[in-house]
Amino acid sequence: MDQIRNFCIIAHIDHGKSTLADRIIQACGAVSDRDFRDQILDSMDIERERGITIKSNTITLDYEARDGRKYRLNLIDTPGHVDFSHEVRRSLMSCEGALVVVDAAQGVEAQTVANLYIALEYNLEMIPVINKIDLPAADPERVREEIDADLGLDPFTAVLCSAKKGIGIDDVLEAIVRLPAPRGDPEAPLRALIFDAHYDPYRGVILYCRIMEGRVHTRQKVHFMYTDAEYQVEELGFVRLKPEKREQLEAGDVGYIVCGIKTIRDIHIGDTMTWAEKGASAPLPGYKEAKPVVFSSLYPMSRDDYEDLARALEKLAINDAALTYEKDTSAALGFGFRCGFLGLLHLDVVQERLSREFDQSLLLTAPSVLYKLTLNDGSELDVDNPSYFPDPSTIREIREPYIRAAIIIPEEFLGQVMELCREHRADETVFGYLSVGRIEVKSELPLGEVLFDYYDKLKNVTRGYGSFDYEIIDYRPSDIVKVDILVNREKVDALAQLVHRDKARPRALRYCERLAESIPRQQFKIPIQGAIGGTIIARSTINAFRKDVTAKCYGGDITRKRKLLEKQKAGKKKMKTVGSVDIPQEAFLAVLRNDADKKK
Amino acid sequence: MEGAGLYLHCPFCSFVCPYCDFAVRRLGDRDLGGFVATILREAELRADWPEAIDSIYLGGGTPSLLPPAELERLLGGLRARLPIVPGAVLHLEANPEDVDDEALGAWRDLGVRFLSLGVQSLDDRALRFLGRRHDARGARQAIARAVAAGFEVVSVDLIFGLPDQDRARWLADIEAATPPGVDHLSCYQLTVKPGTLFSRRVELGRLAEIGDEEQGRFFAFTHEVLEARGFEAYEVSNFARRPDARSRHNRKYWRQVPYLGLGPAAHSFTGRERFWNEAEEGAWTAAIQADRLPEAGRERLEDLDLAQEALLLGLRCPEGVDLARLESRWSFRPSARALARLETFVTAGLLEHEGTRIKPSRRGLAVADSIAADLAC
Ligand SMILES: Nc1nc2c(ncn2[C@@H]2O[C@H](COP(=O)(O)OP(=O)(O)OP(=O)(O)O)[C@@H](O)[C@H]2O)c(=O)[nH]1
Ligand code: SF4
Ligand SMILES: [Mg+2]
Repeated sequence: MDQIRNFCIIAHIDHGKSTLADRIIQACGAVSDRDFRDQILDSMDIERERGITIKSNTITLDYEARDGRKYRLNLIDTPGHVDFSHEVRRSLMSCEGALVVVDAAQGVEAQTVANLYIALEYNLEMIPVINKIDLPAADPERVREEIDADLGLDPFTAVLCSAKKGIGIDDVLEAIVRLPAPRGDPEAPLRALIFDAHYDPYRGVILYCRIMEGRVHTRQKVHFMYTDAEYQVEELGFVRLKPEKREQLEAGDVGYIVCGIKTIRDIHIGDTMTWAEKGASAPLPGYKEAKPVVFSSLYPMSRDDYEDLARALEKLAINDAALTYEKDTSAALGFGFRCGFLGLLHLDVVQERLSREFDQSLLLTAPSVLYKLTLNDGSELDVDNPSYFPDPSTIREIREPYIRAAIIIPEEFLGQVMELCREHRADETVFGYLSVGRIEVKSELPLGEVLFDYYDKLKNVTRGYGSFDYEIIDYRPSDIVKVDILVNREKVDALAQLVHRDKARPRALRYCERLAESIPRQQFKIPIQGAIGGTIIARSTINAFRKDVTAKCYGGDITRKRKLLEKQKAGKKKMKTVGSVDIPQEAFLAVLRNDADKKK
Repeated sequence: MEGAGLYLHCPFCSFVCPYCDFAVRRLGDRDLGGFVATILREAELRADWPEAIDSIYLGGGTPSLLPPAELERLLGGLRARLPIVPGAVLHLEANPEDVDDEALGAWRDLGVRFLSLGVQSLDDRALRFLGRRHDARGARQAIARAVAAGFEVVSVDLIFGLPDQDRARWLADIEAATPPGVDHLSCYQLTVKPGTLFSRRVELGRLAEIGDEEQGRFFAFTHEVLEARGFEAYEVSNFARRPDARSRHNRKYWRQVPYLGLGPAAHSFTGRERFWNEAEEGAWTAAIQADRLPEAGRERLEDLDLAQEALLLGLRCPEGVDLARLESRWSFRPSARALARLETFVTAGLLEHEGTRIKPSRRGLAVADSIAADLAC
């Protein structure tokens, strides 16, 4: 056990975690040059395409240190984006140490700080790694100061490297060796922490676990303490690039287990696995699963594709425990699903995976948060879907979720960022200096406010230098109204949304204008209106087209005209009819997509 | 019962106009005798045409290029080969430059009752823009002579919607084209067709089509002005000063009455089938000389097709379409969507409901194509 090191790599998004993992993997000779590819652990198509990590990835490596001893390293690469910080949390639980990677040019950013706090919670030993020292803009000395001031870590333990150029990797490995070895009694009853899982179409659920105490071997019966379920171990081993089967795992080890579990829904990340017989009496400290905070309805582009969408979601959810979904219907769009996501990036990723892996093209309604309502009769109601928003006269109080945002910016942008927070209905905004010239702004604002254009604006006003992290803190009373959009005086249910009263008019106006731009003109004038209840708060108009009749059916040539009709008929199929107006899918996309696509 | 129509396409013009996409070519020094002979052989190949024919339309191209002797041979030959009833109406399209007293006399003697003059404009600037060979004075004279020659109906074709044409100029055109004695008018909006010189000019940015709003205004203006002058719009582009001045032949197209087409690119309709000829004069001639029908295509129309066509064509005329007839004849019923749409059209003042009949208003006529498409799908 002395020669095992369990560690993860944490950092702000894009600071080079996965690239550093690549170099470590190569330095340990775990992959031949022929099989190697960049960010080798990011195996999902969407991860590769976007160059970001979405799921944590584990790998076991062998390393011969300068002291001549052989170590077994269990490396976990984690995602940097705030939507997936639950992945970081899970990973940290199974480690004794962490590499805190900081970009030598960007310095400490919001998720660096956020992830550091999580690591502190789990008492992890941390090694600061200053990466990308090859960049012309690299300033390791400044970053050292930030590591000291912002993170409270010893700047003199920091290792300098360039993951991309392969500089300093040996120093990183030697630093890993200095991390504490795992502890835990191999003779005690089994206690293993399930820290990750994924679904494999051939073998069912593959669990990733860290054995804290005791041992487990193949064919053994195991008990999961949280779900209270029993299974028999079919296979276990180390997670190499290809799984390495073994007979047994013991205290200190990280490995995989296959035991006949059918779907991700049957397991609980953070569960404690023990023996079915003479098992441990108490579980390991638990882990709270991430709950969805953003909701949106997904509709297939063509009504005929509903069944396909249902199957696709089911499959996706097998591997994505955080995704929730239930049936939803819309008069305009037909059948669909109300889905819950961890954030906008998660929403985006799900949408993209559906379209990519399952060939589904989708319409998404405006993302919403979950509102808590107290009705006049004292009853409580949770609403995340505008369709279920009750008659306002029956509502005593509405509360919406608030977040505490941590924004790190260069000092010169303070004014604009304070203003931005104010515009987004921040309750309280405070700031403090992290180090010379760098400020951390802490702001309490409604989660619903950051779902729209907040990220973009922050990026804009800080010229890309601002970084952002948030956590949900509580629910606070708020004046939320339902805004309906009417096309030719008919409500389009899929476009309804819940917003703060102060934001209702501009939002409605934006929708009206976008619709007016993207619905083709028809033979008559079409009013587009935004309304709260019976009160119109925004409007725009689509003017009629005045002439389309062909002058002449020459010499009885009518076939050509009928062809035209056929074409028009085909076009109609791609339209959604509201009342008697055909709204092309592009119009829904124009209105809905932009809002959901903010964070890329 | 109403008889069938016979359309004859003469594919020659002395010059090809820069906006024209019809199947025409320059006559040059070609001898039209050969063309007449080929048409007559085609008529022979069509001798089994079953329906009595009560209207003949000589169109083109420029059928007035046919010398009277050839015209006579043509008409005589057609009568000998096809079931043409004795009182059949004879229409002739003529270009103003071909209209002189001699020709007019000959045409009258040959039995032409409906003479339409391809005037297009009575404004020299517009005529030059349209690349026409006649000038305004010549056109005015041709109209006066035709009226004096005593045909049953004299009709004038006009084009509107030219780039710098304002209302005053267009009104002047209408007034000059409709002296007493001109009881029929066809007004076509200029459309730039692919493959024409005009479309090339549009590509080069040297010509811009007017937008649909402006088109709509011109359309409404035309209808108003003509109504005030005693003309009734009995179709999108056709106006008659008295009911019996309507074109009996053209109405057959809009009312799905059968017609036989002879000549290159001519279309025929049997009530169930449509077929159309080779558009190229050469291919058309070659087929006939090999004793083959010169058809380029043929299609059978199902009930649904016929009903949809009935909408498409019926809504071009103010009397509109009888939905009950569509149902009884072709079991066609508009979809729920179409019915909702129909109500919206009625509310918007584009259509009027009269019993089971739907009739387009003037504004409705201007958008008849899309209304029909909406109701048909
Ligand atoms: N110049 C330079 N670029 C680097 C270095 N390390 C990583 N990069 C680049 O930085 C970008 C992000 O690298 P990743 O390794 O994917 O970053 P990450 O931290 O894993 O990102 P997430 O997983 O999305 O949080 C890539 O374009 C890398 O090529 C380095 O040492 N020098
Ligand atoms: S005269 Fe008529 S048919 Fe001939 S080219 Fe001109 S527009 Fe076309
Ligand atoms: Mg990564």
